[in-house]
Amino acid sequence: MEQQELESRLSQMEGKLIGTQQTKNNRIFLLCEAEKCSDVCRFLFEELSLRFVISTGIDADDCFEVLHHFSNDQTGCMVTVKAFIRDRTKPSIGSITPFVPAAEWIEREMHDVLGIDFENHPNMRRLILCDDWPEGVYPLRKDAKL
Amino acid sequence: MGWKLWSLKKSIWVFHVNTGACNNCDIEIVDLLTPKFDVERFGIKLVGSPRHADALLVTGVGTRQAAKRLQEVYRQTSKPCVVFCMGACACGTGIFEGAYHVAGPVDKIIKEVDPNAIIAYVPGCPPKPEAMISGVVKALSVL
Amino acid sequence: MGAFLEGKGKSKEMNTPWQNLFWILIFPGFLFTLVLGLLASWLVRKVSALVQWRVGPPFYQPLADVMKLLGKEILIPQDACRVVFIAAPLVGLSGVLLLAVVLWQTAITQTAFVGDIIVAIYLMVLPSLALILGSSASASPHAAIGTSREMKLVLSYELPMALAFVVVIIKTAAAVGIGRQLDMAAISQCAPVLSVSGLLAFLTALLCIQAKLGFVPFDIAESETEVAGGVIIEYSGALLAVWKIMQAMMLVVLPLFLVMVFLGGFGTTGWPLAWGVGKYVLVLVLIILIKNTNPRVRIDQAMRFFWFYCGTAMVAAVILATLGSCYGIDWL
Repeated sequence: MEQQELESRLSQMEGKLIGTQQTKNNRIFLLCEAEKCSDVCRFLFEELSLRFVISTGIDADDCFEVLHHFSNDQTGCMVTVKAFIRDRTKPSIGSITPFVPAAEWIEREMHDVLGIDFENHPNMRRLILCDDWPEGVYPLRKDAKL
Repeated sequence: MGWKLWSLKKSIWVFHVNTGACNNCDIEIVDLLTPKFDVERFGIKLVGSPRHADALLVTGVGTRQAAKRLQEVYRQTSKPCVVFCMGACACGTGIFEGAYHVAGPVDKIIKEVDPNAIIAYVPGCPPKPEAMISGVVKALSVL
Repeated sequence: MGAFLEGKGKSKEMNTPWQNLFWILIFPGFLFTLVLGLLASWLVRKVSALVQWRVGPPFYQPLADVMKLLGKEILIPQDACRVVFIAAPLVGLSGVLLLAVVLWQTAITQTAFVGDIIVAIYLMVLPSLALILGSSASASPHAAIGTSREMKLVLSYELPMALAFVVVIIKTAAAVGIGRQLDMAAISQCAPVLSVSGLLAFLTALLCIQAKLGFVPFDIAESETEVAGGVIIEYSGALLAVWKIMQAMMLVVLPLFLVMVFLGGFGTTGWPLAWGVGKYVLVLVLIILIKNTNPRVRIDQAMRFFWFYCGTAMVAAVILATLGSCYGIDWL
């Protein structure tokens, strides 16, 4: 869809977000809390039919951030949902795999290396760490002792 | 030199093992075995099973997951055999020094199984096919 | 040498065991066929290299390969059936060796026994059977896939090949009379390829030989990029050397069989000898060219090819040959 239409439909969702950023013409960030992330992604994937690209997990000092990137192929605009997980002791967020099957592996990878728990994930198993890696040690966390 | 050593030098069958490489070195090895570089004139042939191989071309830093598998493949290669560490990562962990998934460079993993293993190093990131050929031929001439 | 061969021809039954042993093991049995086989195998690799615009291996390469394999250790998988695993390559080698001796005896001394073409056809199955036995004793899933593919391949090409030889036998009966058509010496006097049914039979037999030798497009059982070596994946050292020796000897024996059965035999002195060597080289070059210009086919494509296309062609050829021999038309 065209850029104007995209922006106007995104503004429909203002209620669920805590902020938006538009750094460039084709780069939009939607900031939200962890609980609303799943609804926002479902809106983007099903209502606006954006294409899921990849996800990112970040260990910011006071919270975890999970970014889901969606692409509007017609204009080349990337819409990123940035979810903040405030609880550092037991980080948890709703999984988007039930309606975006392509997100299954990247969520398993984020769970392996950052320890973020994805609720309702259909197949949460070890993906990229080796078989004899101890449980509970998450190598990509800033305070990981290796 | 005995007939065994002569025939080993003249007819080296290679098997390619990837222990966690970024695939750059693997692409160069696959390039090497195409007709353009013609390694068949040295008697080098790619075989599909480690039991038929005389040389293991190992790429990649030895990750923890691949370390046990590499040792198993080495045990299944019928001796005498040579291990070629291709690329900077295999020679000495390259840019992955100290990372959490590294179980040591390839020669450390092989020496755990066989302290007398014959190991040759071909550095580069990735090594050019000409460099690989020259490395293999030089290693064969000092065997 | 001439007197020795004459002596062989005249009184076969009275040869000493030492002469027979020499015949089987040195000339023209094991050692001679092995040397020729290694040379032929080098020829295959060199011509393939030249076709691909590169320099190939030096002439001693197959010899170096076999010597190196003899010097390596033999690893036997723990779950393999040891007896069958070790015996299978030896059984295959003995089959090829027997076939070589029978063929050279017919070629050199022109005497054999009636029905020896049937024996030759049976002996040609033995290497494939040994391959199947050896790989199923290997206790490896890759070898199991290789075994099933080899079995299907053997099932598919044995029928057209048998029919091709039936065509030859019919044409020989027409040429030399009823009693002697199963005698290979008699068959090699006439050249069945100079007729429609004979030409069809020769082409089909050539493709069946390609499958039996395990060359592209029919090297399905040993495809190294798909099943990691397939039937011989678990073999190493001296046992693998025996497989390689067997394949080298088959490279001499099978085209020689085609030359004797279709192209009119192999002489022993002077012009007939040179002509015979030329025919053998022709068959070998045909095999190499087919090998270098085709990709590998899937097993179901190979089965369809042999059963439907070659099979119907061979049935047509048999009918043509029968018609030709009934009505005395030579070129059918």
